[in-house]
Amino acid sequence: MHNGILYLAGQSLKELMLPIIGSELIVNLIMTLICIGILFMLVAVSALVFTLGERKVCAWIQVRIGPNRVGPWGLLQSTADMLKLLTKEDIIPHGVDRWMWALSPILIFIPAAMVYALYPFDDGVIFADVNIGLFLLIAISSQSVLPFLMGGYASNSKYAMLGGMRTVAQMLSYEVPMVIALMGIVMITGSLKMSAIVEAQSNIWFIFLQPIAFLIFMVTCLVESNRPPFNMVEGESEIIAGPFTEYTGMRWALFFLAEFANLLSIGILTATLFLGGWQGPDFLPGQLWFWIKAFLMVLIYQWIGWTFPRTRMDTILSFGWKVLLPLALVNLLLTGFGIYIFKWLL
Amino acid sequence: MWGKGLVTGLKVTWGHFFGKKETVYYPEEKLPMTERFRGGHLMLDVEKCIGCKVCAMNCPNAALKLTVEMDENKKRHMISYVHDIGRCMYCDLCIEACNFKALKWDQNYEAATYFKEDLIYDAVEEAKNRRDGNE
Amino acid sequence: MATTEKFVLNMGPQHPSTHGVLQVQVELDGENIVGAKPVMGYLHRGIEKLMESRTYQQCVPFTDRLDYVSSMNNNLGFCMAVEKLAGIEVPERAQYIRTICCELNRIASHHVFIGSLTNDLGSATGMIYAFRDREKILDLFNIICGARMTCHYIRIGGVIADAQDEFLQKTEEFINYVPEMLDEYDRLFTGNEIFQKRMQGTSIISKEDALRFGMSGPNIRASGWDYDIRKIDKYGIYGKLDFDIPVGKTGDNWDRYIIRLQEIVESAKIIRQCLDNMPEGPFMAKVPKMLKPPKGDAYHRVENTRGELGFYVVSDGTNKPYRVHIRRPSFINLQALDHMCKGMVLADAVTAFATIDPLMGEVDC
Repeated sequence: MHNGILYLAGQSLKELMLPIIGSELIVNLIMTLICIGILFMLVAVSALVFTLGERKVCAWIQVRIGPNRVGPWGLLQSTADMLKLLTKEDIIPHGVDRWMWALSPILIFIPAAMVYALYPFDDGVIFADVNIGLFLLIAISSQSVLPFLMGGYASNSKYAMLGGMRTVAQMLSYEVPMVIALMGIVMITGSLKMSAIVEAQSNIWFIFLQPIAFLIFMVTCLVESNRPPFNMVEGESEIIAGPFTEYTGMRWALFFLAEFANLLSIGILTATLFLGGWQGPDFLPGQLWFWIKAFLMVLIYQWIGWTFPRTRMDTILSFGWKVLLPLALVNLLLTGFGIYIFKWLL
Repeated sequence: MWGKGLVTGLKVTWGHFFGKKETVYYPEEKLPMTERFRGGHLMLDVEKCIGCKVCAMNCPNAALKLTVEMDENKKRHMISYVHDIGRCMYCDLCIEACNFKALKWDQNYEAATYFKEDLIYDAVEEAKNRRDGNE
Repeated sequence: MATTEKFVLNMGPQHPSTHGVLQVQVELDGENIVGAKPVMGYLHRGIEKLMESRTYQQCVPFTDRLDYVSSMNNNLGFCMAVEKLAGIEVPERAQYIRTICCELNRIASHHVFIGSLTNDLGSATGMIYAFRDREKILDLFNIICGARMTCHYIRIGGVIADAQDEFLQKTEEFINYVPEMLDEYDRLFTGNEIFQKRMQGTSIISKEDALRFGMSGPNIRASGWDYDIRKIDKYGIYGKLDFDIPVGKTGDNWDRYIIRLQEIVESAKIIRQCLDNMPEGPFMAKVPKMLKPPKGDAYHRVENTRGELGFYVVSDGTNKPYRVHIRRPSFINLQALDHMCKGMVLADAVTAFATIDPLMGEVDC
């Protein structure tokens, strides 16, 4: 039934190892470790690709040529950036709360990387296909609110404190419309399993069935991952870098990695939940469709980000509570009616 | 409709994404400078200069130092013409003050150096190097 | 029980959005501003004192560096003050060329305004587009005088070199491009709902308050008072030209932004009239190399991009001025920052700095 390339490759590897090792348990353990390695590599590669990709896209929108000195067409720019960040001096400001300050970047990176375990990359290729997939995903990604506040508080700096306060207000208040918008999808699918959601889109993609939810989801995704035009948390012209102000070198690199991992995450999520995931016409393998859709969504998010100015804190809070939340509830109501009418027609 | 302005803005940047870029691949391609461009080092025409020091007197920042020697026949000889581009404003007052049109800019805008001492140069030396280089 | 208290946030001299080295001590209650005290003086170079030991012609390059973004206007102010003192009359062609250069500089300075405003608001693309258009004007200045920013082109008695045909032709091409350029800004920013929400109704200053603070230029025209020195004093050839003065209604950030866009259109109109009616003739009056104006003093004011720029020159009969005092518009406009920011959110304070459009070289002199 499952016939994606990666699934078949995984199965053949398993069958290769089984006679050599003998115990099925150990083979499964080895496969798990290999998958974890691949997921980490994915996060690392996303950071590498986006360090250059974001700068190139940003430059082309701004009528200039992006980085082009390091390597042909600037391809080694990511390596140069990583080397620079690794060799920076580790400055610890005076008066910081040591443990909280040091833990904050780590605790932001962990949820950003962990959600990759729940994405359906191909037919049957998910690391953890649990029954509550979508719910777990949202729960894990909301964990990144507290470390922002930790970083902001522990940095002993007024700018960081302002940034931390803004995070809590902004990110928490946009969880609600996001969840309610996604509930429409869950109602149509009838299950929270990620692979079931993708399979339910085999006839028609959810973007056509739930256009309002798609728009709400796009806006809340941008808010949750602190992308412009909603990047008040690290609003560069007002509070310099918000909770990240006092971090340098590898600690800042962790924030940076988490941000790009988030960018790829929201691209993958939008592609999976609304655009049909890995499904597509047969002339290209399913895996390739998945990546095409994810990168297309990432490009759209970058395009939006580099065009618009930043909103103000009170504007987006009132927008989220007074506009998006009622709209999401209306969408839920309409979806409910739609499902009843559909069942009655059949 | 709310949001129309946002969509128009998106269209503008989409157009620029695929359009012509304004920057050039420096230093492989360099943009040309105009005729009256003020920049770089001063080129002194040693034949025309009579060592009257009007240029140095006219400089608002005292960036020019001339040493002129008078020999027995009351003839002036130019020993050195030191220009400190760290102090220079590129205001052009020295060039305008010269009645014999002996000064000119060499319009080389890549005049930055690694050390502060390298900003001070002798225009007579440079004129000599240019002449020797041409011969 | 838990209480809240106010704290002072120091948006210090090194900050991504304070337009140069300006320090603002903002007193915050959460995110609302209770007071904003600007601390100036980080860029003080003693220009007024330096001018006391230079001759009049040597003083002119120093005025370039006051408001370094619109240097032609500064040169003009000083030269006209000295011409008033010494009784020099400037030929007609020189006045036309001076007007063209000053209005081009006004357009360039408003581009810096648009660029830094949109950059502070978060959209870095706005800065690049505005500076790309400003490059075209700087290329024009390169052609006519050899320097892009600190031009030192307008001198006592006229201009130092004639405007070539290449300059006049390229200026005409630029003027034809202005409507297309403004249309792009309209589509990208003026019509953008996020931008409008951010700017409308914030940092309001009423006409009476603005008059009390002594503001001038586009800042007070946004509050509703049509005060433009080009129309009142009619210095140079402004009496012969036909242009309007855009005036705002409420005095909020939005009005200050829209007025500057409209001023670009008016400047383009002025330049077109000058290009059409440019006479032939000399470009510099006969000024002695050692200029010794008679004893006395003179004050002359011009309409700089930021307001009323005035030069007060006192002469004691020698070839060096006894005292030069410069009435700098940005220095006086910045006093109103505290009044404008009270009751606003921190993000609006940043927008207010950007729309007052101060330039630190002018604030600190």
